[in-house]
Amino acid sequence: MSVILIGLSLGMLLFLLAAGLTLVFGLLGVVNFAHGSLYMLGAYVALQLVAWTGSFWLALLLAPLAVGLVGGLLERLTLRRLYGRDPAYQLLITFGYILVIEEFIRMVWGVNFRSINPPSPLAGTTELFGSTVTDYRLFIIGFGLLLSLALFFVVERTRIGIVVRAASANSAMVSCLGIDVGKVRTGVFVAGAMLAAISGVVAAPLLPLKLGMSFTIIIDCFIVVVIGGLGNIRGAILGAMLIGMMRAVGQQFAADWIFLLTYGLLIATLIFRPEGLFNVRGRTA
Amino acid sequence: MNRSIVGSALVAAAFFGPGAAFAQPAPEAFVIGGVVPLSGAYALLGTSMQKGVDLAIEQRGKVLSKPLRAVWEDTETKPQTSVQKANKLLAGGVSMLFGDGASGQTLAIMPVADQRKVPLLVTTSAADQITGANRNRYTFRTSNLVFMETRIAAEYVKKAGLKSVYVVAVDQPVGRDAWTTMKGILSTMGVAVAGEDFAAIGSQDYSVIIDKIAKSGTQGVFVITTGADTITFLKQAGQVKLGSKVKIFGTGFLDDDAAMAVGPDVVGVKTVARYHFSYDTPANKRFVEAYRKKYNEWPNAYAGHAYDGINWFLDVVEKTGSWNPETWVTAFENSSYPASLFGPKQMRACDHQALGVGLWAEAAAGQAPQPPLLLKVTDTFPAAGLYPDCPKT
Repeated sequence: MSVILIGLSLGMLLFLLAAGLTLVFGLLGVVNFAHGSLYMLGAYVALQLVAWTGSFWLALLLAPLAVGLVGGLLERLTLRRLYGRDPAYQLLITFGYILVIEEFIRMVWGVNFRSINPPSPLAGTTELFGSTVTDYRLFIIGFGLLLSLALFFVVERTRIGIVVRAASANSAMVSCLGIDVGKVRTGVFVAGAMLAAISGVVAAPLLPLKLGMSFTIIIDCFIVVVIGGLGNIRGAILGAMLIGMMRAVGQQFAADWIFLLTYGLLIATLIFRPEGLFNVRGRTA
Repeated sequence: MNRSIVGSALVAAAFFGPGAAFAQPAPEAFVIGGVVPLSGAYALLGTSMQKGVDLAIEQRGKVLSKPLRAVWEDTETKPQTSVQKANKLLAGGVSMLFGDGASGQTLAIMPVADQRKVPLLVTTSAADQITGANRNRYTFRTSNLVFMETRIAAEYVKKAGLKSVYVVAVDQPVGRDAWTTMKGILSTMGVAVAGEDFAAIGSQDYSVIIDKIAKSGTQGVFVITTGADTITFLKQAGQVKLGSKVKIFGTGFLDDDAAMAVGPDVVGVKTVARYHFSYDTPANKRFVEAYRKKYNEWPNAYAGHAYDGINWFLDVVEKTGSWNPETWVTAFENSSYPASLFGPKQMRACDHQALGVGLWAEAAAGQAPQPPLLLKVTDTFPAAGLYPDCPKT
């Protein structure tokens, strides 16, 4: 049971990391390589906010807003001009974001390792199923669940979600209906950036903050997005849980096989079900 | 026609043959070619090495009556880039190479130095192969190697009376090799292996491994990780108070910067200290004072070893009075360095590995003006017994 609990926390953390990417990738069709850099920026902004205010919760509230603003400016000023053009341009520009954000972080915070501690109410531990689990990990599970439900509700059950999905499927038609598709796209990119920042803030108490931390998570994000299905929040949750459980059980019983199983599943998904394990196949004319 | 050819050949031999009519002029400066990571995962390591060398240059000013300077190239923590940058520096006519950071990068540039017959000074990379299987005439190491650090850790196991050890290591050759060495030593000591786990570099979550350790009944945990992996493991282990149940120790996996990043849970963790600013020698005190004056921070192991190693090499060069790198190599491989920050050191001619004391430390709380968390040296091990035997040629 303890392995399952650990798998749940691993999975939720993966979902938090990948949620923003699946939104942007699935709904805008943009391969945002800078997703990891926005995650890193969120963690560093949180570091600064905690240093100024002493409050992790304030950092969790404000850091995503700050990074969302950055994401909005990046999309509005650069990415918007590239929709409809060769995807290589989008890849290049998001790669450019990585370089800019990395250098900005280096200039402001330097190259040393930095750290955030879990907030005091969550600094303790709980004995569950024979294992000692930190209260912070239980918070990650609960927070991730709430966020996933909220995202699912917004994307699948609200007018905003309908508009976003429609713009993704047929932007010209949506535009004809009088909806500013440009603003919709900026909104989705901002949401993606905010989700990346949230994951950075939540992950920060578990990891050291350092330059290059963006690269260590981006691969995991793409794995979850591909396996779960592009733009599919439910798929992202289930994909993240699947990978999280595989890693927890694999590390417990067969550590040498973890990478083989994870990437094997990725390859199998791409070959046999490229739309994702949990996505509905699109109908072609 | 034949006479003019013979005559030309005789003139050429006079100018360019042995005992030539004139010697090659000395270069205009002694240039250190620094190949270090200034960006990427090991940027902290490379920038620290650069600071140590720059301080030494500032203090010395000249070598062999010529200005002393360094040219720095960023190897970006990638072996392919290390080789390119080393070649670039050599094409620019540097007097020696200094670097790299990670062992994989150093091993990649060693053949370049060997081919071009230019001395390469290593003051950070710890892989045994550098002065072992892959050693060459032009590469020298003045810092620790994995074998030595593993022996120091084994001494701790004996001293602490640990009956069982669990290992957590990076899933890389250096991690597995270090564990193989340690496992051999533990078996001769009758210490049981409670478990083994190898995690990929950059692992984000050690919770499963930490849970296994807690349930294994082990008395000690031997950690073979570096950089961010060390901090991740110790942070997550500290959050479940693993250190209150088992003794956590490792080989050079923890320094003051990492201790600060882990936080208060690092107190009590033990490690080989590659260097520490508090180590009490007159040379170290002078170095620390000068370093703090220049950079307004405490020197770390990378800066300390870089400063120590480059000063040793340049002292030897100065004594030779020669611009011939072959003379430097021969002199260096038979040299000793009484003024080292660590106390007297001796270069071993058989493998170009410097021999010196080993330091064992424990993470503890510090008092101002020292950092709030830092390593405190608790034991000093003499060089005898810490190093591998000379390789059979």
